[in-house]
Amino acid sequence: MELQHKRVTVLALILMAGLLVLVSGCGNKPAVDTAPTMPDDMNTTETLTPPVVQEPKVVDDGNVIDPKTMDPQDYGVEDVFFAFDQYGLDEVSMGVLARNARILKDVGALVLISGHCDERGTVEYNLALGEKRARAVRDYLASLGVPQGRMLITSYGENKPFSVGHTDQAWAQNRRAHFERP
Amino acid sequence: MSQLSMSQLSMSKLITILLAFCAVIGSAVSAAAQSSDVVIDITQRPYLKTDVLVMPLDILSGGQTAARGGDLIGAVILGDLDLSGLIRTGISTDTPDSFQFEYLIEGRVEGPLLDEATSGEEAPLTVSLELMTYPDRQILLSKRYRPLAGQQRVTAHHFANLVLDMVAGGKGICMTRVVFSRGAGDRRDLYVVDYDGEGLLRVTANRTLNLCPSWSPDNSEITFTSYHGGQQGLYSLDTGTGKVRKILALGGLNYGADWRSDGKELLVSLSQGGDPEIYRVGTDGSIIKRLTVWPSIEISPSWAPGGGELVFTSDRTGTPQLYIIDKDGSGRRRLTFEGQYNDSGTWSPRGDQLAYATRIENLTRLVLIKPTGEDRRIVTGPRWGNCEDPSWAPDGRHLVFTSDRSGVFKLYVYDVVEESFRQLTFGDDPDITPAWSN
Repeated sequence: MELQHKRVTVLALILMAGLLVLVSGCGNKPAVDTAPTMPDDMNTTETLTPPVVQEPKVVDDGNVIDPKTMDPQDYGVEDVFFAFDQYGLDEVSMGVLARNARILKDVGALVLISGHCDERGTVEYNLALGEKRARAVRDYLASLGVPQGRMLITSYGENKPFSVGHTDQAWAQNRRAHFERP
Repeated sequence: MSQLSMSQLSMSKLITILLAFCAVIGSAVSAAAQSSDVVIDITQRPYLKTDVLVMPLDILSGGQTAARGGDLIGAVILGDLDLSGLIRTGISTDTPDSFQFEYLIEGRVEGPLLDEATSGEEAPLTVSLELMTYPDRQILLSKRYRPLAGQQRVTAHHFANLVLDMVAGGKGICMTRVVFSRGAGDRRDLYVVDYDGEGLLRVTANRTLNLCPSWSPDNSEITFTSYHGGQQGLYSLDTGTGKVRKILALGGLNYGADWRSDGKELLVSLSQGGDPEIYRVGTDGSIIKRLTVWPSIEISPSWAPGGGELVFTSDRTGTPQLYIIDKDGSGRRRLTFEGQYNDSGTWSPRGDQLAYATRIENLTRLVLIKPTGEDRRIVTGPRWGNCEDPSWAPDGRHLVFTSDRSGVFKLYVYDVVEESFRQLTFGDDPDITPAWSN
């Protein structure tokens, strides 16, 4: 049952990738980054291994993902989380970002990476810390081959919390880099 | 008026009344008051207040409308004089012995003139206000106003400011206001409120985050940080017309604006793809000078009065600390050594101290310190919760800051002389990053 599920996902992904290459080939967008012939062998093999954790949610009858109308979450891009007062990426985050990188390269979308902080600390310092988080994510994705020009960054600091509570759990939810459609 | 003449005035005033009576409010300071009679400074304890008798305004004509107007104006004047911290008011000569009235305020209210009253439009009252010596009734100040209903508060503030100038030699803050950011979720708007908590007014409505406002020295502009397409930019609101202009949007962070007192330059933090650094920019957004070239976060700049120096935050040592540099970026010295997290330094307009926020045992607390790094004083105890973003009133005596002691960040005002607090804003939405007008 689950295997079948995975196969469907793989199929969907391959279909999507193919369609995108086609679309971008016909359109006026440069097809460089969605081309399947990645120079980096690691990335190529990784692309063939399907991301099992998160399958793309919105694939209407096998149709294309349109990053202009869809939020990155809707095609499988996930947020990453940070430790208190830190902007470094841990192993979990790197794993998530590796998957995000594959998807972003496939989709070729322009994304806005926003850095967020929990409510502790000052508004001003948290704006700077949030930007460091966003930049750490962008730089790591760039190192995995996502073109830098397709990633904008911004920081909201503590001003756009995902969880409004004042607990450790709420704070952990709010220390994140979030992917948005710009 | 210069700082010098202000303090001279206050000093001579205070010396003349020093031996006459001791008008210290609050038991905590009364003991100290008796021991010190050499150095007198209104920002230092002990302090003395001038007693002013404020009589209810006489209603000469105009019935209920005039009576309500008169009551409001009288109440606002009383409130202003009390909030100044420089004056003790009484509304009757039948007061405790410790009162020794030196001044008297009287006033009269007349209703609209007959043709005004019948014109169908709202007609102004005529308000005459006088300040005189007491008990010999020499008139020091005589003012006549014609306020519409919506102008009665500002009429009272205007007169109270003149009284404070004349009686206490202090720079009155009765006409000042506080701008701050209010809201939750995806949007925060800037609001302006009178210094006494009245007259709340929303001044932005652009469905995004608006933060970190700063008044121009003449209060004609409020410069603030907003987001457009997810990207920060520095914008300026014309407080006369309500029009907003873009100053800077260089990519990355554009925030922390602080106007220099001559109105020609601002300090701001810009990241431009790297860590934020401190810049001096022109009011048109042109970059005049980059002041820090450090591989770390540099934020929260604030001019010293006169613009010769500035304070800002850097985490170059691994923890955010306050530093002072000259206006050309030279002469760096570290101001804070205590605590692992210090930010939001802001220089008193008197130049004698700075306020900032420090983290102690997981709470952000408000602190005062001298520019030399001496005399560090923690202002808010643990019951105040997290306290952030101090901003000085132009009198150098009052500070507005945020505290989440009620569960949500609201604005509070601290009197650094009396060491007293009052709540300025209310409601359920968080209020952050206040800035006191000039």
